[in-house]
Amino acid sequence: MIRFARLIHRFAVVPFLLAVGVAGVNLTHAALPSKITRLIVQPSAIELSGAEAQHGLLVTAVGADGQLSDVTRWSQFSSKSPKVIAVSTNGICRALADGRAEITVSFNGKSEKIFVAATNSALTGPPSFRQDVIPVLTRFGCSAGACHGKLAGQNGFKLSLRGYAPELDHEWLTTEVRTRRIDPASPANSLLVLKPIAQVPHQGGERFAEGSPAYRVLVDWIAARAPGPNTNETDTARLEILPGSRVLRVGDRQQLLARAHYADGRVRDVTWLTQFFSNDEATVAVTPEGVVRPLRAGETAVRAHFQGQVEVIIITIPYENKVAPGLFVAKNNLVDEPVFAKLKALNIPPSPPCDDVTFVRRSYLDATGTLPQPEQVQGFLADPRADKRARLVDQLLAGPEYVDYWTLVLADLLQNRKERDHDVRGAKGVRSFHTWLRAQVAANRPWNELAREVITASGDVVAQPQIGYYITLVGEKRAEESEITDAVALSFLGTRIGCAKCHNHPLEKFTQDDYYHFAAFFSRVTMKREEPAKGVTKLITESKEADEQKKQIVSAEKSLAEAEAAAAKVDSANKAETDKAVKKVAEQKKRLEDTKLQLVKVLAKMPSITQPRTKKAMIAQPLDRTAPEFKPGDDPRAPLAAWITSPKNEAFSGAMVNRLWKHFFSVGLVEQVDDLRASNPPSNPELWRALSQEFVAHGYDLKHVMRLIMNSRTYQLSSSTVPGNAAERRFHSHYYARRLPAEVLMDAMSQATGVPDKFDGYPLGARAIQLPEPGVASYFLTLFGRSDRVTACACERSGAVTLPQLLHLQSGDELTKKLRATDGRLLALLKEKDDARVTREIFLSTLGRPPTTAEQSAFNKALAGGGARDEVYADLFWALLNTKEFAFNH
Amino acid sequence: MIDISLNQTAHRYCNGWSRRDFLRVGALAPLGLSLGGLLSMEKMAGAAPTRGPRAKSVLLVFLGGGISHHDSFDMKTDAIEEIRGKYKSIASNVTGTRVCELLPKMAQTMDKVALIRSQMHGNDHHETATNWVLSGRFGTPFGDHPAMGAVVAHETGFTGKVPPYVAVPKNPSFTWELGRSAWLGGRFESFKAGDPNAKEFKVRDLSMAQPMKPEQQERRQSLLKAVDHLSRTIEGNDQIATYDEFQRKAAEMILSPDAKSAFDIEKENEKTRNLYGRNEFGQSCLLARRLVESGVRFVTVNSGGWDHHAKIFEGLDKKLPQFDQGFAALINDLSDRGLLKDTLVLCMGEFGRTPKVNKDAGRDHWGYAGSILFAGAGVRGGKIIGATDKTGSTVTDRPVSPADICHTVYEALGIDPRKQLLTPEGRPVEILAEGATVNELYT
Repeated sequence: MIRFARLIHRFAVVPFLLAVGVAGVNLTHAALPSKITRLIVQPSAIELSGAEAQHGLLVTAVGADGQLSDVTRWSQFSSKSPKVIAVSTNGICRALADGRAEITVSFNGKSEKIFVAATNSALTGPPSFRQDVIPVLTRFGCSAGACHGKLAGQNGFKLSLRGYAPELDHEWLTTEVRTRRIDPASPANSLLVLKPIAQVPHQGGERFAEGSPAYRVLVDWIAARAPGPNTNETDTARLEILPGSRVLRVGDRQQLLARAHYADGRVRDVTWLTQFFSNDEATVAVTPEGVVRPLRAGETAVRAHFQGQVEVIIITIPYENKVAPGLFVAKNNLVDEPVFAKLKALNIPPSPPCDDVTFVRRSYLDATGTLPQPEQVQGFLADPRADKRARLVDQLLAGPEYVDYWTLVLADLLQNRKERDHDVRGAKGVRSFHTWLRAQVAANRPWNELAREVITASGDVVAQPQIGYYITLVGEKRAEESEITDAVALSFLGTRIGCAKCHNHPLEKFTQDDYYHFAAFFSRVTMKREEPAKGVTKLITESKEADEQKKQIVSAEKSLAEAEAAAAKVDSANKAETDKAVKKVAEQKKRLEDTKLQLVKVLAKMPSITQPRTKKAMIAQPLDRTAPEFKPGDDPRAPLAAWITSPKNEAFSGAMVNRLWKHFFSVGLVEQVDDLRASNPPSNPELWRALSQEFVAHGYDLKHVMRLIMNSRTYQLSSSTVPGNAAERRFHSHYYARRLPAEVLMDAMSQATGVPDKFDGYPLGARAIQLPEPGVASYFLTLFGRSDRVTACACERSGAVTLPQLLHLQSGDELTKKLRATDGRLLALLKEKDDARVTREIFLSTLGRPPTTAEQSAFNKALAGGGARDEVYADLFWALLNTKEFAFNH
Repeated sequence: MIDISLNQTAHRYCNGWSRRDFLRVGALAPLGLSLGGLLSMEKMAGAAPTRGPRAKSVLLVFLGGGISHHDSFDMKTDAIEEIRGKYKSIASNVTGTRVCELLPKMAQTMDKVALIRSQMHGNDHHETATNWVLSGRFGTPFGDHPAMGAVVAHETGFTGKVPPYVAVPKNPSFTWELGRSAWLGGRFESFKAGDPNAKEFKVRDLSMAQPMKPEQQERRQSLLKAVDHLSRTIEGNDQIATYDEFQRKAAEMILSPDAKSAFDIEKENEKTRNLYGRNEFGQSCLLARRLVESGVRFVTVNSGGWDHHAKIFEGLDKKLPQFDQGFAALINDLSDRGLLKDTLVLCMGEFGRTPKVNKDAGRDHWGYAGSILFAGAGVRGGKIIGATDKTGSTVTDRPVSPADICHTVYEALGIDPRKQLLTPEGRPVEILAEGATVNELYT
């Protein structure tokens, strides 16, 4: 034990030595601020507990310009009571005796003092399995998914993925004794130690060196006869990353310090056991030891993982632009405040506002999925009122095209599709779900109400078409075996919990238990499918067991009635017959009572699902582990819906706000748009929070958020880039031009040419944005990436530009036919003899703007070139439909 | 955690499976044979490419659904009937190598192909396994990683008038398209040729319904130039850059005879067309040869319908002869034309099929063993690599992983499999994280 205590002091030193070692080569004092106003020492106080416990320090110099620099590696440290607390040259404080010491930190003539206290300094013990051994196996990659952490293990040695199941790990490590994996008689000869130091061949190579802290933990643990997980030990309650979020410059280096806070109040420096990752390795690199190095201008999160805890800090590296501060000032509404603050912090110049002609087309396409008609463009341009943009927004959000378009958007999210094998609705049912959804959009149903109606849908599919959601996602499966759990989390919470079905989520707090607790909300969902003649499909909220008992009761009642009827007919003089009949009645009564009793028992069970790993019953419980409020007989989906749509549930409001933002700006505040998690923070947290709060405060009114977005200066910026802002795609310095969605582009072509499309099973003139489901055949829609709605993932809709798309635009038969159609726009326009007017109309109906002088003269030249007038015009029309200006919203 | 498919019905697997079934993956082999380990060992040994490219083009024949190895190239004629199945084996032109009696033409071609009998990854899910074998990386069924063809297109670029990556008739697919370009983006998706066996086969949109006069073509292009100027004011937008690039390429392809000619199967004489078989598979192989001739770097011939959960022998009675004719014709034709020496041909499904014939007289999915054929570009014909046990259940020698196959392909084309590509977010990702070339193919 003494030996362990002696060794442990070496641990925390290593990362700092490494950091200093590398720093010495690359860095000069030139990167430091020339004038320092003061020093910040973190943490501001330390309490060490246990024999030779240690903790590092971070020293930050504050420059005269406010710039913060990590100067830990150049600072001097001294302890006023070195026999109580020793401090190394790189700032590691170590407990030697109980007591308290003042530590002085100095750099460049400035100094700062902190107090370090030590308790239990004589208390020694073997390494903890849960708090030392598992973290070592995780930190050095042993239990990673590519190695022993995969389901099958690796070469007969298996660990739980990143240590999510310590009790199993201990069992696998110690009882699976086929090898010399653990040898308490000779700890250093255990394979568990020899393999990672590559003393014996190890396919994973050398993970750490002989004699390193990780090595010592394992050897000492084995020497102590490999004690198992101690149930009294508290789990890490919180991970803290110092110095927190920082603004850095390319060339800076910043050491991070990871502190685990335990439930009992203990705090431990776990930097060397923490895994660090950059969310954007091209912008910021981070070493395994926690040294952050900015590589280019931008902003990203750095994640730290320790024992299932994830914490992020944001590293910001401003661009080296010269931007007039006045460019960040003008704002329209609450959207702009955080956007322009972020642009200012990053030193990215915003593009100028877009002109009216751009705005009218942009807003029509984004809000209604529909091109403006020439007269609508002209009307808007001619409107002299100062608030005409806001008026246009109101008008668009009130129109029928808005309803069509947003029904399409929500139908993607709710996966309305005809499921090939377990969809009993047929096309009619899919359409009726669509019609229901359309009615909700038309009524501007608040998102929380709409969500609740879908989540708690029950009854029969004719009266409640939203049951279609469950028909598609549950079908005839047991709910927990179906896609419903993942889909609800994805659609309504923008959260991907699928990983936790098989193991703890690698990037989130969700455990396997959490997944099955959540799945249990759907454990009562049963689809009852009758023969068509007997009735329609119903969703009942009873367990299969209860349903079975109810059938038994009906059958028992029937038998009892029969027995009683038979008894009534018996001749009372015949004693034997009478006795027999009475006995039979009694038997049937008893059976009925038993069955009823059984039903009560079944109904008294809480809705639960068995977790396959632990075989424990998981009672329905939300993802934040709050206790749900429901009685055994209730449909647990009602409290689920209440929890999901609660104003306190930031994921619910935040997920929808993020989807809306992505819809209008093509890049979500969180990307991927449905991957909300602590380790994937939004690009602008203040904006995300502000919009979410607005959304909640305005009763989950989707149009309210859309109005805020469309009236913001941010939305009304030009898509043209200016020097210094072309490279960024996250902070909204300009409107990001992007290809129109499949349905919108297809409709735009029909509208511009004046020739409607015909979809199989739908009347001529039905627009692509009105189609209820993706099963409607269309080469164009498939080519341009409509969503198949196989999952709720937004990634199913593709905005990619591909070669066959361009071939189709250039030589597709449909377009050729539309240009030549006798009842189309072109032939009608050509009856007009004034060429300038014809040209203007063609431009307005395609690009939503009149031609420029240069374009007009290029066309005049073509017209004078000798071709037939109608052919030259057809070619102009073709050219306009092939421009990016047409195919993109910009 | 793995579903053993022996007692399952067809419905369970091909219609009724949950899209989340893919989560039940991972266990590699009942024998504790562990692939990843071998791979990282080879990685440690430093399997860096040491030679220049062997191949100009790669031609992948994909047997989607999973061809039964028991009934094709890994017959277990000594096993009990419910394992060995209905077919007898026949001798091939390579001593000791026997193949299914329904593959007589392949039997006479085995001297030109190397046979790997140890395809293995342990995944029994169509979409997951297909994306895995086509990309060399494990991921979700929706395709997290770019398929080989997309990477090749990315690395070689659009060199001639024909796209670098073509699928005939289309990409593998069960419900959704597989083998896609993932984060490499739409620019590198395969170009779909369509079914060359169709009457009056034409690649969609490659030529106009009504041919235009050259002066009209010119007028259109010059008008387009005059009105299409969004890219003048917007910088740094990848969609716009891609649109511009493909707009030019599309015009070139439509106007030039080269692209049309590459796809014009009518230019082949009757004898050749009949040699390959007048069916979708045969004509796809023939078109693939034409495409390789015109410089396409990666051609996929996709043949679906190998997912025989029920009545497998009725199914194979029809499919194997078509495969035999088309694939043997392809190898021999490439060889006769001198194209085989720098074309790497490989033929595989996403997995093999269950050793035991099930109650519906079918075989189910089996990710633990399957057979792969390689030919051309220096591959030593007649070679057999790897083996399965006497029931064809597990690989007993030289397991070959999806990453190994892709590594072999990349290296043959002179692409460094460890090269880092940048995702749209600027994250560097190695083409392959593991795997090593199956060097036995060349020795």
